[in-house]
Amino acid sequence: MASKAGAQNVKLAAVLDLNEATTLQGTLQSLRGSDIVIDASAVERCGTQCIQVLLAGAKAWEEDKKTFTIGKVSDAFEKTTQLIGVNFEQLLGKEIRQ
Amino acid sequence: MDMNEIKEIFFQECEEQLAELESGLLKLNDGDRDPETVNAVFRAVHSIKGGAGAFGLDDLVAFAHVFETTLDCVRSNKLEPTQDVLKVMLKSADVLADLTNAARDGGSVDESRSRGLVKELEALAHGEVPAPSAAVEAPVPKAAAPVVAVAPTDPSGFQPIPFSFDDFGGEDEPAAALPTYEVTFKPRAELFSKGNEASLLLRDLSRIGEMSIFCNTDDVPALHKMDPEGSYLHWVISIKTDKGEDGIRQVFEFAEWDCELDIKLQEDDAASAEADSELPMIPVPFDLSILDDGPAVAEADTSADVAAAVAAADTASNVMQMAGAAARGEKKESAATAAAAAANNAQAANNASAGQTIRVDLDRVDRLINLVGELVINQAMLSQSVIENDNNGTSSINMGLEELQQLTREIQDSVMAIRAQPVKPVFQRMARTVREIADITGKSVRLVTEGENTEVDKTVIDKLAEPLTHMIRNAVDHGLEMPEKRVALGKNPEGTVKLTAKHRSGRIVIELTDDGAGINREKVRQKAIANDLISADANLTDEEIDNLIFHAGFSTADKVSDLSGRGVGMDVVKRSIQALGGRISISSKPGQGSTFSMSLPLTLAVLDGMVVTVAGQTLVVPLTAIVETLQPEASSIHSFGATQRLISIRNSFCPLVDVGRILNFRAMQANPVEGVALLVESEGGGQRALMVDAIQGQRQVVIKSLEANYTHVPGIAAATILGDGRVALILDVDAVVAASRGQSLKQEMSLASVG
Amino acid sequence: MKKRVLTVDDSRTIRNMLLVTLNNAGFETIQAEDGVEGLEVLEDCNPDVIVTDINMPRLDGFGFIEGVRRNEKYRAIPILVLTTESDAEKKNRARQAGATGWIVKPFDPTKLIDAIERVTA
Repeated sequence: MASKAGAQNVKLAAVLDLNEATTLQGTLQSLRGSDIVIDASAVERCGTQCIQVLLAGAKAWEEDKKTFTIGKVSDAFEKTTQLIGVNFEQLLGKEIRQ
Repeated sequence: MDMNEIKEIFFQECEEQLAELESGLLKLNDGDRDPETVNAVFRAVHSIKGGAGAFGLDDLVAFAHVFETTLDCVRSNKLEPTQDVLKVMLKSADVLADLTNAARDGGSVDESRSRGLVKELEALAHGEVPAPSAAVEAPVPKAAAPVVAVAPTDPSGFQPIPFSFDDFGGEDEPAAALPTYEVTFKPRAELFSKGNEASLLLRDLSRIGEMSIFCNTDDVPALHKMDPEGSYLHWVISIKTDKGEDGIRQVFEFAEWDCELDIKLQEDDAASAEADSELPMIPVPFDLSILDDGPAVAEADTSADVAAAVAAADTASNVMQMAGAAARGEKKESAATAAAAAANNAQAANNASAGQTIRVDLDRVDRLINLVGELVINQAMLSQSVIENDNNGTSSINMGLEELQQLTREIQDSVMAIRAQPVKPVFQRMARTVREIADITGKSVRLVTEGENTEVDKTVIDKLAEPLTHMIRNAVDHGLEMPEKRVALGKNPEGTVKLTAKHRSGRIVIELTDDGAGINREKVRQKAIANDLISADANLTDEEIDNLIFHAGFSTADKVSDLSGRGVGMDVVKRSIQALGGRISISSKPGQGSTFSMSLPLTLAVLDGMVVTVAGQTLVVPLTAIVETLQPEASSIHSFGATQRLISIRNSFCPLVDVGRILNFRAMQANPVEGVALLVESEGGGQRALMVDAIQGQRQVVIKSLEANYTHVPGIAAATILGDGRVALILDVDAVVAASRGQSLKQEMSLASVG
Repeated sequence: MKKRVLTVDDSRTIRNMLLVTLNNAGFETIQAEDGVEGLEVLEDCNPDVIVTDINMPRLDGFGFIEGVRRNEKYRAIPILVLTTESDAEKKNRARQAGATGWIVKPFDPTKLIDAIERVTA
């Protein structure tokens, strides 16, 4: 999980709802080209649409050959992703192993 | 608050809704076609049904449901609210009121009546036009009484939709025996925009069985191209459950229109294994603690359990809620602040429309009124003692006292206003009375009301219904002619009874006018002579004759009818009005109708009075009774008969009444020239001059019941406490005037005061 | 912090039942008497879930739901409709207006809490 020095930290909001999805998309867009670490430690409510944005982000970072890392996660974030069958660790396996 | 209190609120609300219902129906009857009127009527019945359902009042629900269905036809313009339709609806409103009362007070409602109306309502809902005028006979009940049968089993409205959780937690069957379903779930963007959430649906799904999930992310577009509020994921879930396909669909109940949902029973393990091998399924642990405390909710089947469960869930999610709030920063206002803000907003909203109200226990208001009464007395006593002890003219204290007096007055007025209520509910009740008696007498009657929003003390309102009911029965039964006769007389076959309320000089005046035949004076006169009420040669004015009908037991109807002949006469009406400190009079024009006019105090708690001295006693005369005061001169006093005296005022003579003598304060008549005369208006409109020794001044006094604290005293209406702490008696002017006509005060008040 | 529920209903009886049920279940309850008031109160109370009646004066449940869904800030809030009318047409209208789910009257505390649980995290 070690992130490279100089990687941008993206701290996710507590409530990842409909409105937050648009905000998150904008945040990620603005950080294209940098290595980033997603900090999901404060997430308390995690909506599907924000996860979609994160998935699209992971793909984009993969294409850009930059690292997209999920850093600290909250219980709610972990359980929601597990429940809906999205496994970021698997998805980001390559990057994490780098 | 417990269920019983809510039930009490429900019945209170029913009363309001019933009033709303009736007034709406009457508006429709008058040709009002405002959709909002129809909506209000519909809402009233709907609301009664809703509450009744919650309390399991099945009869009420059943009838309300049929009524509502028919009203819905009117609302959707499928049924034209003609007079005949409205006649059925008004009757239904009456039955609904009866059912509500029966539900509250016990007892039952005439079943044939409600059953007949149910038939009529159902016929209307099915587009059958009622046969004009011909009353629909209550049909012989069929085997299945429709009233009881209709609603509770109505699949469209009353079958509660069971939740899958309810039957959760049955016997543990071996997992292997459970069928496995393959569920494909593909939400559309609308699912999210309507507030549903795929992850919550999957959470609920995970609670009904053991499941594995595969999330297909293939459709997720490039980051810069995606609509963040779009829906790009779909899932294939394999779930072992004993809930069946229905149980699974139940989970998606709220979402099924906004997603593609496919549920297949997997025939055998091979198929399942195959499916598993095709898709990299991630097993979802049968872990109900995901996201929140699920199991407690699942097992809960009583509200108490639910409460506990939710409380537990709440504790668990406390931390996250707090974190969430913190993150949102400015949204940290406390619950109380939010609620207060909400209340403020509500207030603002209501300023634009109807005023906001709170409901307060009447006892509390009365206690406040009583206390304010004491405050008024105390303030008066304080001023008086300051004035008495003040010989160096400390005007600052006096000014302060004046301000205190004004404030006390205002507080008192405001407190009295709390008890003030519009007469509307009573007026609305009269509509039903009119309908009923019109039905019984076969007369056609229209009730017109005016000034329904005129306000008066609640006690007055409560006590107004009975005399008004009687007067209205009387007006329709005795006043209005039969339709044929009206036509013959060139009148509209439909008679009109008009009920109006207005404020006039600090009192409320209620008038009841009919356009019937008017008082038959010759008949009244004959009857009065026959009953020894007047002598055969008595020379009475028309007005005096008219007022004879207020005598006890006086009835002019040839045959005692079913309605107004129950031994209850206008004398009883008069007595009830007088008990409220009111006056009643009648004016009548032959062939054109009669008008009963009642004047009542706005409140029964305070009174503007003139404080006078009679034979060393302090009395208070209600200011409303006094026309003027005058200083009699010897030249204007004329003796008449043995004891009677008259005073000439301008160009007329007026009987002089010695209050001290009437009340037995003194044995001998006082010399009028040494006293003051108060010209008062009495019942029949005639004037009398009341002789008192001196006038002390005018003031508002707080009425203290004499009956409640002592006993009834003839000629005295009540008592009060003056500023100096003395008790003063409040004069019953009408009783004193009546007594002056030779009737003893010892008699029953109502007889004594009858004109 | 408790979950906050905004209820919108013109019937005093139902309002009281909602209040008692929700408070007993540990929710914080804010109440409005019709759609217009509901929209005003919404701005201040930021509820986690809304429970609304359909037949109300001034602004009915359909209009109220549409109003919430048009609100940038609060459009994602789950809205449950209290209704005796479980027929497809009324449900459809409520859904078209943006309702999340519904609770079929007669009022039943268990059903109410269950439905709220279903649509909230």
